[in-house]
Amino acid sequence: MKRKKNFNLIIGTVLTGLMLLLIVTGLFFLPYDPETMDIELKFAGMSPAHPFGCDNYGRDVFTRVMVGARTTLLVALGTVGIGAGAGILIGAFTGYFGGWVDEVVMRIIDALFAFPSILLALVVISLLGNGKLGVISLLLGSGKYQVILALGIAFIPSFARVVRSEYLKQREMDYVKNARIMGCGHLRIMFVHILPNIMPVLIPTVMIGFNNAVLSEAGMSYLGIGVQPPDASLGRMLSEAQTYLFSQPSYALFPGLTIVLLVLGFSLLADGLEER
Amino acid sequence: MLEVKNLNIEFHDHSLPETVVYRFNLSMEEGDIVGVVGESGSGKTMSALAICGLLSRRDMKKEGEILFGGKELLTCSRHEMRELQGDDIAIIFQEPMTSLNPVKTIGWQVEEALRIHTEMTKEERYERAIWALTEAELPNPEKVYHQYPHELSGGMRQRVMIAAAIVCRPRLLIADEPTTALDVTIQAEIIDLLLKLNREHKTAILFISHDLSLVRKLCRRVVVMQNGYIVEQGAVKQIFENPQQEYTKRLIASIPSCEEGKEDKDFSTEEVVLSAADIHVSYHSSHGVFGKKQEQKVLKGVSFALHKGEVLGLVGESGCGKSTLAKVIVGLNQKYEGQIGCAKGSVQMVFQDPYSSLNPRKTVGWIMEEPLKIKGGYAKEERRKKVLEMLQKVELEPEIADRYPRQLSGGQRQRVGIGLALMSEPKVLVADEPVSALDVTVQAQILKLLQKLKEEMGLAILFISHDLRVVYQLCDNIIIMKDGEIVERGTPQKIYTAHKHPYTGQLLKAAGIETVGTAAQA
Repeated sequence: MKRKKNFNLIIGTVLTGLMLLLIVTGLFFLPYDPETMDIELKFAGMSPAHPFGCDNYGRDVFTRVMVGARTTLLVALGTVGIGAGAGILIGAFTGYFGGWVDEVVMRIIDALFAFPSILLALVVISLLGNGKLGVISLLLGSGKYQVILALGIAFIPSFARVVRSEYLKQREMDYVKNARIMGCGHLRIMFVHILPNIMPVLIPTVMIGFNNAVLSEAGMSYLGIGVQPPDASLGRMLSEAQTYLFSQPSYALFPGLTIVLLVLGFSLLADGLEER
Repeated sequence: MLEVKNLNIEFHDHSLPETVVYRFNLSMEEGDIVGVVGESGSGKTMSALAICGLLSRRDMKKEGEILFGGKELLTCSRHEMRELQGDDIAIIFQEPMTSLNPVKTIGWQVEEALRIHTEMTKEERYERAIWALTEAELPNPEKVYHQYPHELSGGMRQRVMIAAAIVCRPRLLIADEPTTALDVTIQAEIIDLLLKLNREHKTAILFISHDLSLVRKLCRRVVVMQNGYIVEQGAVKQIFENPQQEYTKRLIASIPSCEEGKEDKDFSTEEVVLSAADIHVSYHSSHGVFGKKQEQKVLKGVSFALHKGEVLGLVGESGCGKSTLAKVIVGLNQKYEGQIGCAKGSVQMVFQDPYSSLNPRKTVGWIMEEPLKIKGGYAKEERRKKVLEMLQKVELEPEIADRYPRQLSGGQRQRVGIGLALMSEPKVLVADEPVSALDVTVQAQILKLLQKLKEEMGLAILFISHDLRVVYQLCDNIIIMKDGEIVERGTPQKIYTAHKHPYTGQLLKAAGIETVGTAAQA
C-alpha cells in the first residue's frame, strides 16, 4: 500500500515557496520604483504593463505588493523571533525551576494574556512613539522596527506559556534525572537536554505565531500605527485601498489575496509538519 | 461456550499492513480458566480484545470465526455486540488507575452495566452493586459505594474493576494483565479472588499475563504465544513440566528460581564504598497556600553499608520508601537528615523505565558521551572510542551508537542505560527496578549482564526490586523494607529459610516461595 500523501505539506511548501520567491526577487529586481507617483496612471486598470493595476497615486500595485510582502515578512519574523526567544527563556526558567518565581512570573504573564495582543502592542507603540523610552526609539528608529518590538513583546506570553508547560512535563522525566546524576549543570539540562524534546510542540506554535504576526502587522498598519507611509506593507496598502474599495476593487484585492496566501501557506506547512 | 477458529488480525492504519495475530485457535468451556502467556508484541492482548469486540472495525481486518454461545462475534451487528459486552463478556484491564472514571462514584460505575443491560429499579441496582462489591471482597462496601476512585488504593481499585465486571454475572471474564501494576502481596490476593469467583459462579476466565508463575497458580490450560503465533497450548502441568517447544522451554527457564543453593559470602573485610546512617526523609504537603501543613515520614532511620563487589538487594512494595532512598543516595533528593558516606561522583543510577531514562531526541552515542563531556578533557575521537568500548562491554553492536532510543528494543535500551551509568566509572551502581519493565527472557539476560559487569569492574550494586526471586539470584545480601523502615536483613539463605519478621514471610509467600528448594513444587 502506498503511503498517504501529505497534501498539507505539499501545498503549504508550494505556497510558501511562491511567496518567498516573490519577496526574494523583490530584493534584486522591481518592475517599477515603488514610490514614484505618476498621476496619469492613477487607478489604471490591469494591463500587461501593470498586472495588478495602479493605486491612487499612480504607483504600480504589483511592485508595492512585492515590497509590502517583504516588509510584512520581516515584521512577522522579527516579532516571532522576539516573542519566541524571550518566551523560551521565561518559559524554560519558570517551568524548570518552579517555586515562587514561577508563580509571580506566570501571574504577570496571565495578566498580559488577558489583553488582546494588538492592544498590548498599541500600548508599547504609544510609549515608544512619544519618545518616552528615548533610547530604544533611537536605536530602533521608527516605522516598521517599532512595530516589531511592540508586537514581539505582545507575543511573549503565548510562547512562555507553551514552553513552561512543556518544561514542567519534561523535568520529571528520568532522562533529566539521569543528566543531573551525571553532573550536568542546570543550563545544560535546560537547553541541551530538554529543549530539543519540546521542538514537536514548539515548531507548530512558532508557525501559528508567525501567522498571527502577519495578521497583526496588517491590522496595526491598517489602523495606521504600524508601518508608516510611504513605506509599503500589505496591511498599509489594504488600509489605503479601503477608501476606493468600490471604484477600484483590484487595489484592495491583491494585497489582501497576498496576505491570505502567505498565512494559508504557513498554516498548511505547520499542519503538514505536525502530521509527519 | 467460546470457540475461536483461525483468527487473523491485520492492522491497516500504517503505511504497510501488519499482521499481529496469525491463526489463533481457542476453545473454552463453561467455568474454564485459560491463561495466555507471551512477551510484549506476541499478540496476546490483541486476541483478547478481538474476542470482546474492542478492536476498531475500520483500521483492521479480521478473518476467522469467534463463536460465543453459538453466535458469530466478528460479523454480528454492533448492536448485538453491545448486548453481550458487559453482560455476558466482561473485561478487566491492567491499569486500575486509568480504567475507572475519576469523576464518577464507585457505585455509579459498578451500576453502569446494570443500567444498560437490565430493567432494574434504583433500589435493586444498589443492592446488586453492594453484592458485587462484597463479592470482590472490598471492606465496607456501603462506604466504598459513595467514594471516588482517587480515594482508593491500587489494589482496591482493581477490586472495584472486578466488581463492575461481575455485576451482571458474566459467563466469560477477560483479565488483561490484571495484576501487573500491583504489589506482589496484593497480586496474590487478586489471584485468590479470581479463583474464588470461578469456583462459586462458574465464571470462565481468560487470563492474559506475561507472568508465568501467576498463570501456573491460576490457570488450568495455557496458550503460549510468540510474534502473533500460538507456539504451544495444553494443560498447565504438561506445559510447565514437559514443554515441547524451544520458546516455551526458554520462557520457563527464564523464571528466576531459588532452587540452587547459594553460598554466603563475607564482605566485611572489603572497603565500604557506600554507607547510609540513620536516614530520615519526610515530605510536607499542604492543601493550597493557606491549607494545613501535613508531614509524611517516608524514611525513618535507614542505615546500611555497601562493600566493594557486593550486591545488596533492597526489597519492598510501593510506598515503602525504597525509591526515595535511591534518590537520596544519588543526590536527587537533598532534603534529608542523616549521613550518606560515598566518594563524590562514585555513584551512578540505572532507572526502571528504559523508555524515559534516555533522551529521545539524541543518539545513543551522544547520550553516552555526555558524562565525558561534563567531566572534560577528552577529545572527540577519544570520547567516541570510549563509547564504542562501553557498547561492547554491555554486549551491543557498535552501530547502535548512531541510532535513536526509539529505534531500540526495551532490552537494548536498558543495556544502553547501564552503559551510560558506567561511562564515568562509578564504584557504586544504584539500580532502581532495572528489569521490572522488561519481558522475562530479556530480564534474565540483563541480570546476567549485571552479574558479569560486577565481576569485571569490581562494582558494588544496590539492587532495588519488588521481586524476591530476582533478588535471590543476584544479591549477596538482602534488606527488606516496610513503611520506611528496614524490617529484616541478611543473606538470601537466611532470609528465605529463617526469616524473623512476619512481613518477610508474607512477601515470600506472595512470590510463591515457602522455603528454599520448594519453589519447584509449589
